[in-house]
Amino acid sequence: MATAIVEEISEFLQKGRAKNVKKLVEEALAQGVDAKEILNEGLLAGMMIVGGKFKRNEVFVPEVLVAARAMTAGITILEPKLIEVGNEPIGKAVIGTVKGDLHDIGKNLVVMMMKGAGFEICDLGTDVDADTFIAKAEEIGADVIGMSALLTTTMPNMKDVIDTLEERGLRDKYIVMIGGAPVNDSFAEQIGADYYTADATSAAEVAKAAVDKKKAC
Amino acid sequence: MKNFYEVDGLIPKIELKSSLKAMDCYEDSPVYEEVVEEFEEIYEEMLSLAEPIGILGFGKISAESATKEYPEGTPVIYGVTSIGDGIKQCSTKAFQEGDYVKGMLCDAMADDALFSLEGRMMEVLKEVCSEHKVGILKRLEAPHDIPMASQRDAWECLELQTRFGIDISSGYMFDPVKTSCQVFILTEDAGTFKAQHDCRKCPNVNCKLRNIPKTEVTVQKGEEKHKIYLQEGESLLACLIREGYYVSAPCGGKGRCGKCRIRVVKGYVWITQEDEKAFTREELEAGWRLACMAYPVEDLEIAFDLMDESQFEILSGCVEEPKEKDYGSQGETSYNIAVDIGTTTIAMELLGKESGKNIHTVTSINSQRMYGADVISRIQASVDGKKEELQESIRKDLLDGIRRLTKEAGTDLRQIERIAVSGNTTMGHLLMGYDCRSLGVFPFTPVNIDFIKGTFEEILGSKECEAQIVLLPGISAYVGGDISSGLYACGFHETKEVCLLVDLGTNGEMAVGNKERILVTSTAAGPAFEGGNISWGTGSVAGAICSVEITAGEAKVKTIQEKSPVGICGTGVVETVMELVKDELVDETGLLDEDYFEEGFPLGRTDKGEIIRFTQKDVREGFPLGRTDKGEIIRFTQKDVREIQLAKAAIRAGAETLLLRYGVSKEQIGKVYLAGGFGYKLDKEKAIAIGMLPEEFCDRIEAVGNSSLAGAVRFLKNEDGEEILEKIAKESEEINLSADKDFNEVYMDSMMFEAE
Repeated sequence: MATAIVEEISEFLQKGRAKNVKKLVEEALAQGVDAKEILNEGLLAGMMIVGGKFKRNEVFVPEVLVAARAMTAGITILEPKLIEVGNEPIGKAVIGTVKGDLHDIGKNLVVMMMKGAGFEICDLGTDVDADTFIAKAEEIGADVIGMSALLTTTMPNMKDVIDTLEERGLRDKYIVMIGGAPVNDSFAEQIGADYYTADATSAAEVAKAAVDKKKAC
Repeated sequence: MKNFYEVDGLIPKIELKSSLKAMDCYEDSPVYEEVVEEFEEIYEEMLSLAEPIGILGFGKISAESATKEYPEGTPVIYGVTSIGDGIKQCSTKAFQEGDYVKGMLCDAMADDALFSLEGRMMEVLKEVCSEHKVGILKRLEAPHDIPMASQRDAWECLELQTRFGIDISSGYMFDPVKTSCQVFILTEDAGTFKAQHDCRKCPNVNCKLRNIPKTEVTVQKGEEKHKIYLQEGESLLACLIREGYYVSAPCGGKGRCGKCRIRVVKGYVWITQEDEKAFTREELEAGWRLACMAYPVEDLEIAFDLMDESQFEILSGCVEEPKEKDYGSQGETSYNIAVDIGTTTIAMELLGKESGKNIHTVTSINSQRMYGADVISRIQASVDGKKEELQESIRKDLLDGIRRLTKEAGTDLRQIERIAVSGNTTMGHLLMGYDCRSLGVFPFTPVNIDFIKGTFEEILGSKECEAQIVLLPGISAYVGGDISSGLYACGFHETKEVCLLVDLGTNGEMAVGNKERILVTSTAAGPAFEGGNISWGTGSVAGAICSVEITAGEAKVKTIQEKSPVGICGTGVVETVMELVKDELVDETGLLDEDYFEEGFPLGRTDKGEIIRFTQKDVREGFPLGRTDKGEIIRFTQKDVREIQLAKAAIRAGAETLLLRYGVSKEQIGKVYLAGGFGYKLDKEKAIAIGMLPEEFCDRIEAVGNSSLAGAVRFLKNEDGEEILEKIAKESEEINLSADKDFNEVYMDSMMFEAE
C-alpha cells in the first residue's frame, strides 16, 4: 500500500493543485519516503487516473493539462533525488512531427501523457527528418519512435523513417508508433508501423504495454 | 492597377471566451477559474507578441493545385494573414517546460488572434474586388477544398519569403504556423461576394469554433415524410432525438458504436473517419452515414431503418416464489405497483394490496437510451442541458407502463395505493430532475439517495392517480437503490452466512456481507456484457446470437427466437470468447489468431445447419459468426475480445478485492447471487471459464434475475420493509476501487485467459 502522503499527492495531482503537490513532495522527501514511490505511486499513478478519465470523456483537456502541470511541479522537486537513487524510466522515446509538418499540439499532448506514464522523452519538435529521428533514437537508446503527421501531404514521410530504419537494419530495435488526424490503423499496417493510436492517453498506454512486452521477451 | 494589396490597419484581438472554447474549457469546468487566471496573466504579453500581417494578390491556380471544378489557370485572389511566430514560440516553450496549460492556452490565443484579422481582411478584399470589378464566387482553404500545393502557389505569388520572411515547409505549411491562406475564386459578376468562411462547407467537424446555420432535413419514415431543422452546430443524431425519433446510440453519439445508421437519399454528407470504419465502400456510396457524425452542409433527405426494439427480452423474474398469475384479480379492491427502472429496460409488477399476489407484469425499453446506453452518457446529457428532456422521457415511460399495467389487468388507476420505485442512483436523479453534475465528478456526491416519498403528481407530473410513490434508498452515487433493493430481496439482512451479490451490468455493482455487515463497491465493467462497444453487439433482441459453439474453426450459432442473425448479445459475446479461447483461436493474452483465417476454412454455420463459407476477404477483419439477411457478415474482432477482457477483469478484480477487504475467503462465501438479465441467461460455467468469476464459486452461483424489482415487491408486501431497507442503505459501507492497489493487481492478472 502506498503511504498516506503519497496518496494525497496523487489526489492533489488529479485536481491539478501544483502548489499542494510541490509542498507534499517536499514533505514526503523530508519524511524519508522513497523518491521512486513518490514518483510511481503518487505522481504517475495520479496522472494515469486522469488520463483514463479523459479517455472515457469524464474530464476534458483543461483538467488533464492542469493535472500534468502539477505533475511537472512534483517531478521538478523530485528529479535530483531520482538521479541520486538511479531511478530508471519505464522506457525511452523520441517523439516528433514528421518532415514538412509543423503541427505540434497533438504531439505535445502525447509527450505529456507519455511523461505521465513514466517515459523519458526526447521531444524532437516539428519538421523532423528521418535522419534526426533515427540518430536521436540511437543516441539515447530509445525503445519507442513516435511520429505525428496532420496532413495527407506529410503522412508519407512516416514511411520514410520506417524505410530508413529497415535499410539500416534497425527496424526491429524500435517500437514505431504513429498518430495524427489523417492516420489510421490500416495506414499503420500499410507502412509497417507497429501501432496507431487515436488519442494521447491510448498512445501512452500502448507504448507502456509494448515496452513491457518487449522487455519481457 | 496594382497586383498586390497589403492589408493595412490590422488590429489583432484575443478574446477570453473563444480562446477557452477552443481548448474545450467552459464555465462548468472544475479548472475554469485557473485557466482564466492564466489567461489574464499572459494576455498583455501575448497581444504584444502578435505581429499582424495581411496581403492579397491576383494569381492563377497551378497544375498541382487544380481540381475538377477549378482547373489549372482559374483566376483567383490569394489572401494570407499571419500573426507572426511570437505567441507560438511561447506555446512551444511552455510545453517543453511542462506548463501544459500555458502551452495550450497560448496556442488557442494565437489562433484567436489570427482569426480576428479576418474582418479587416474582408473589407480590403471588397475594396480590391470593386476596384477590379470582379466578384468572389467561392472561398477555398487547403487541405479541405484544394490541395496543400495551393499554399505554395500563394507563397510564390505573394512573394511571402522576401516580403515578410514567411517560410514554407516541404509539406506546404507556412512557418510561422499561425499563418492562414485562402484562395478566392473570381467571377466576372461583381455583385457576388461569397468570401466568408462557411462552416457548413468545412469538414473539420471537431473544430471548436464551428458555427452552422440552420439546415432543413426531410426524414422518410415508411410512406411519410417529415421536415426537421438542424440547429447551429447540431449533429443529425442530436436533431433526430430532439424531434422525438428513436435512434439507437449506445455510445451516446461519439461515433464509436456504429449503430445510428442513416441513409442520405438526397444531398450530401461528408464521409468521416468514423463512417469509414462503420461502413463498406459500397454502403458509403449508397449514402449510409452515422447520424452522430453527420453535420450536413446542405438541405437533405434521409431515410433510416428503425430497429424494432419492442422485441427486447426483458426480465422481470424474481427471486421469490414462482408467480401466480391471476388476471381475474378477484377480491382485490386496491393494488400496489413495484417498479424497476433499469438503465436499459423498465419492469413493473402489479400486486394485490391484500394478497400481495402478482397480478400482472409489464416491461418496456427505457426511452432514455437514445441519450446514450450507460449512466455516464446520461449524466453527460443531463449536464449538457437535457435534464428536463430526460425527466420527461422517464416520466412518460412510467406513465405509459402504469396505464398499460392497470388496463391489461382490468383495474383502474384510482385503485393504485402505493408505488415503490427501485433503480440506480442516476435513474433516480433523472426521474426527480436533480442536478446530475456531482454524480459525474469526484467525489461523486448524490443530491438525495434517502427514501424519497411524494404524490403521483409530484413525482410523475400527472393527476390521474392518487397513489403515493416511494423511491427506495441507495447507498452511494454508484451503488444505488437497485442494489439495496437486491440485497433486501436476497435476504442479506437475515442471513448469517456471508453472501455475494453481483450485478453484471455496466457499473458492475457488487456487495458482500450478511446481517452483521455489508460492504459494497462498483467496478467499471463497461457495457460489453450488454452488447455495447462490441462491433456487432446488440441487446437481447430477436435474431441476436445468444449461443455459440466453435469446433475446429467452425462456428455454429443460435439466435434468440431463431431469427436470422442481427448481432451478438451479451451471452453470445461471452460464449464466443470462451469458444475462441477453447479452440485456441485466441491466446492467453487475448490475441486473436489471424493467420488461421487465411486458410479459408468454413467458418460459419447457422443453427439450421447450412454451412457458410467465407472468403479470405470476408474474414480479414474478425471472427465470423453468421450472416445477416442483408448478407453482411457478423464478425468478432480483436477489439471485441479486448472489450470483454476489460469487462471480465473488472468484475473479477472487483469481487476479489471486495472479499479481501471484507476479510473473507472465496470458500467462505455461502451464495453468489448474479443479478440482472445478463446474469440470468449467462451460463455460470462459461462465466468461470473466461475467468469472470473464480472457480470456487461454481456450485454456489444463483441467478436471481431482476432482484431490484423483487426487492421493491418485497418492500410493498412487508410492513417492516422500510426499516430494513433503511438499515441496509445506511449501514452498508462502500469501498473505492479506483485507487486500490490490490484491485489494480488482480485486474491486470484477470485480463488473461487460462489455457485449457
